[in-house]
Amino acid sequence: MRNFIILFRKEMKEGARSGKWVWLPIVLMVIGISQPLTNFYMPQILEMAGNLPEGAVIEIPMPSGEEVLIGTLSQYGTIGTLLFVLAMMNVISHERQTGALAFVMMRPVSAFQYMASKYVAQLCILLISLAASYILTWYYTNILFDHVAWTLMLASLAVYSLWIVFLVAVTLFVGTLLRSSGGIAGVSVVFLSVISLLTTLLPKYMEWSPGNLRAEASNILLEGEWGSSATLVSLSTLALSVLFLGLAVYMFKKFERFGE
Amino acid sequence: MLVTVKNLSKTYKKHIAVQPMSFSIGKGRCIALLGPNGAGKTTTLQMLAGLLVPTTGEIEFAGNMDKDHRTQIGFLPQHPSFFNWMSAAEFLQFAGELSHVPKKQLARRIEETLAFVRLEDVKNKKIGGFSGGMKQRLGLAQALLHEPELLILDEPVSALDPAGRRDILELMKQLKSHMTILFSTHILHDAEQVCEDILMLKDGNLIWNGTLAELKQENGALAIKLQTKEPIEGVLEQLDIIEEVEYVDVFTAKVLMRNLADSNELVQTLLQHGRTLIHFEWLQDSLEDAYMKVMGK
Repeated sequence: MRNFIILFRKEMKEGARSGKWVWLPIVLMVIGISQPLTNFYMPQILEMAGNLPEGAVIEIPMPSGEEVLIGTLSQYGTIGTLLFVLAMMNVISHERQTGALAFVMMRPVSAFQYMASKYVAQLCILLISLAASYILTWYYTNILFDHVAWTLMLASLAVYSLWIVFLVAVTLFVGTLLRSSGGIAGVSVVFLSVISLLTTLLPKYMEWSPGNLRAEASNILLEGEWGSSATLVSLSTLALSVLFLGLAVYMFKKFERFGE
Repeated sequence: MLVTVKNLSKTYKKHIAVQPMSFSIGKGRCIALLGPNGAGKTTTLQMLAGLLVPTTGEIEFAGNMDKDHRTQIGFLPQHPSFFNWMSAAEFLQFAGELSHVPKKQLARRIEETLAFVRLEDVKNKKIGGFSGGMKQRLGLAQALLHEPELLILDEPVSALDPAGRRDILELMKQLKSHMTILFSTHILHDAEQVCEDILMLKDGNLIWNGTLAELKQENGALAIKLQTKEPIEGVLEQLDIIEEVEYVDVFTAKVLMRNLADSNELVQTLLQHGRTLIHFEWLQDSLEDAYMKVMGK
């Protein structure tokens, strides 16, 4: 436990020094609030850019606040996922390649402590960035559109956060398989996309899939209640995350060399 | 014995990096691990340091039944690469905490080791801006920090300039008095300067295990250099205690002897033949000669 805390503190410090704590929340906030802003100003934007003939009337139905938040979740699902994977593709491979990992593993540190510190630290950065972005978006949505209850907002955020829990576990696991950060990002993104794609193509067999999390979060916003399928998806996502994390620890133990 | 190694070996897929080897390390000794590049020195040291899992064999530390010996070892990798965003003091703090050095003691140890490796002035500078020699010294500091019983240094001086090399060797000489040191090198002169025991590796095999003195004795022939005022030729050939004579010039000769105890007889013979001896020197056979002999076997 003590080693975990020491390593976790080091990860946090590294996140601050490398600027990850700054750029990741900012980029996510921009992605988040662009949704209500573009929705709100869409008629004006079209008018400015569309070269429409004189006298054309644009009538776009005003989306509800819930619909705007659902649109934001969809942004997180695409650009956000890519960004998250890119932000943490390096966390193990960099230390492994430079050999800095040797300085950690030559001391009485277990593979589990190391991996857990990476996992929790990355999860912290990603979740806090996501929450900051989502809450800011909710604030703008409330101003520009109709009011969305904060309980609904938090519930949908909680469900969607599980996607991050899963994503971090997958990316860390791939990070123990491959050495090049490009490869790690590529494989992780492809894997996560395939999961999402299969979920839409084969809905009958993929009820448990973490790819359903976004739909479940949207459902909470629209229906205002927690469906039974949400429980299944949440539990299976947590189970899969634990599995991937376990696999990552197992692979890490099999590393032949910690340097060079 | 501090460490006993039994049947230690390492195999990568098809390639055998280290053949099964057994040796032991006495407490307080300084041991040099010699061998050409690719002989398996780094692999052996990494297994001892607990960074690499051996394919077969055991490493036992006296008084420790536990399988994990990492608390008792300080290790300096061949190419130390740090977290470049940390400062030297931060890195030592991090390393010391991971090694479970008590908090109060740690602050004192960091000051001590930084002073020992002469990095106090740059302790708050980022490691990223350090020179190779400074990084090596910081690497030594982190290996010493938790006062380990065994200090393992992988090629501590190979990548350094002459001044940096002398620095590290001087530090090692000071450490010798209260620590067991095992270090690998391919610079024989360095090994000769600081260590008393030698392990030699060749193609993953342990081909020599013993003291430096024994190595020289068993594998070095004894030579004597003589210089006389008068031409030296004509005298030495008659003596059967001499194995070989090599004339450097008319007055100087290098003599290879079967037995060193006969050197008095050599001098007497010279004097009897009216030669005035102006130079007499025992030529210590260098480690290099012994090394080449063992490697060539």
